[in-house]
Amino acid sequence: MGNFLRLALRQMDVQLRMRVLSLWSLGLFFTQPAIFSAVGMLLAHAAGNANPDLIYTVIGGGIMGMWSGLVFTSTFDIRADRREGTLELIVGSPTPLRRVVGFRSLLNILAGSTSMLAAVTAAVLIFDYSFAGINVPAVILSFALLLFGLWCMGIFLANLLAWSRLSGTFVDLLEMPIALLCGFMYPISVLPSWMQYISVVFPIRWSLQAMREAMRGTAANAELLSLWGISLGISLVFYLFSHWLDVKVHDHIRVTGELHSI
Amino acid sequence: MPDQKAISTNQMQKTFKTRQGFWRRTTRVTEAVRDVTFEVNKGELFGLLGPNGAGKTTSVKMLSTLLLPTSGTITILGLDILRDTTEVRKRIGFTFGGARGLYGRLTAVENLRYFAELYAMEPALTRKRIPELLELVNLLDRGNDKVETYSSGMQQRLHLARALLHDPELIFLDEPTVGIDPVGARELRATIKELKARGKTILLTTHYMAEADELCDRIAIINKGRIIAMDTPAGMKSGMTSESVINLRTSNENLTALKAILSPIDGKATILCKENTVQSEVSIRTAHPSRVIEVISPWLNTDLIQTMEMRSQTLEDVYVAIIQNEEANG
Ligand SMILES: Nc1ncnc2c1ncn2[C@@H]1O[C@H](COP(=O)(O)OP(=O)(O)OP(=O)(O)O)[C@@H](O)[C@H]1O
Ligand SMILES: [Mg+2]
Repeated sequence: MGNFLRLALRQMDVQLRMRVLSLWSLGLFFTQPAIFSAVGMLLAHAAGNANPDLIYTVIGGGIMGMWSGLVFTSTFDIRADRREGTLELIVGSPTPLRRVVGFRSLLNILAGSTSMLAAVTAAVLIFDYSFAGINVPAVILSFALLLFGLWCMGIFLANLLAWSRLSGTFVDLLEMPIALLCGFMYPISVLPSWMQYISVVFPIRWSLQAMREAMRGTAANAELLSLWGISLGISLVFYLFSHWLDVKVHDHIRVTGELHSI
Repeated sequence: MPDQKAISTNQMQKTFKTRQGFWRRTTRVTEAVRDVTFEVNKGELFGLLGPNGAGKTTSVKMLSTLLLPTSGTITILGLDILRDTTEVRKRIGFTFGGARGLYGRLTAVENLRYFAELYAMEPALTRKRIPELLELVNLLDRGNDKVETYSSGMQQRLHLARALLHDPELIFLDEPTVGIDPVGARELRATIKELKARGKTILLTTHYMAEADELCDRIAIINKGRIIAMDTPAGMKSGMTSESVINLRTSNENLTALKAILSPIDGKATILCKENTVQSEVSIRTAHPSRVIEVISPWLNTDLIQTMEMRSQTLEDVYVAIIQNEEANG
């Protein structure tokens, strides 16, 4: 257990200093969400809403930052390790790659949640957002499930990246569509129905919805429970799938010799 | 088992399939390693030599669990690499030549601490080991500098420290001295000998024949994925008959005359001439050095022969001869 914790701390420490604390990630976590929120507000104004719906614009901006941060860091990490030649050393050590990836993704997500924190702070300080009527425990649980869902998707993406260099491009291309499909900045119901069908496979779509409902404080407990259940269930499916993929990846990269190639 | 081998391979093979092209996909098959069977005893220092692309790195990567063999079996320290992968990884260390394989934005100490964690080392042990190892590879004073500020030779030495962190029994060193200056290379060779003296088993690859000769108990020469010779360095040198090499130097205009003088020994020696800008070199490899001396001695104090030097055959001569012989016979 001590070993496990130490490994976790070391991985997260290195991750923080190597990858997260850079101007580029700070831009990803703060600047990009700020721009998204601002555009959201402007659009809401343009549409005639004098008081923009902060839950969609500001919180949506925060989620956007977390998501991009996750996609970029999870995929960028593996690529950077491949390029630096350290992926091979990690795989050749007794510690399974999935453990390294798991801890790093966790840090990426925790770092990303500063983006959400910033968004909420801005909502309160600049836009006088009031917490009246908010269901605090439900918001916290929804947020925890959102983090878990993001983490499961993160390790899944990282495995995909470890598997093949080509998948990097693929993941980059999917970043925006997934953000759109999960309804970061608007209710899912505005999407065409076929898009809504696709979005059901992403756990974060459900926890995000739960979080919004909890912030409004209007949702019935049963509804929240079902959203949490679905989110947790799909997250676990991602987790199990990543686990399966991890075993495949470990064999595959050692057959093709793609471990060290750039 | 007391006579347990450190490495034992049986018909180890590796075939790479690479796909090229987007529309018209073609598959290129590279047989990087074919039918390689050899054993390395515990405590032995074994050298793997061969031209570029011969399959040395591929072999080392299979032995160190980083590549899966296409067929054949590999046993490391009595463990099967496919079944006991994790256990093998705990007990071996490896470095691959070149500057990659370190986190440039971290210091040497931070890098080592990171890798120590991957080997689940106790923190107290790590704290003790890191300065020891930095001392061993002569980097103690630079330990807190970022690795990206290191020269490539320094990075290469740090690789060795990293490979030794968890005190592995078996160490794979792929071109450990590449890019290291002569003094540093000599120190590194001393370090490798020291490791052997401590009972480690070492498999190294190198392009420096003198290095292999100095360090290795046994060497294997690998070419196009096959082992074509395997012996002790001394055995390999004597195996090629006890030939000597006589090198002569002459001016370019005298080369033809010198060749004429050497004609009596034509059947008894292999004569190689190399014309440089100012001077020509004539290299005579022969099993009858006294006969050659007899023929050239009258000319030693003339313009025809500016310098003469005689030496016994080096491992490099043997290596070149073996590889050339391979090429000639297809
Ligand atoms: N990942 C890979 N995919 C396809 N072919 C590969 C791969 N790795 C190596 N090869 C091929 O396998 C052969 C052996 O390469 P290897 O790197 O083992 O040679 P080497 O003996 O280490 O050479 P060098 O002295 O240049 O380091 C080469 O023909 C190389 O092109
Ligand atoms: Mg090589």
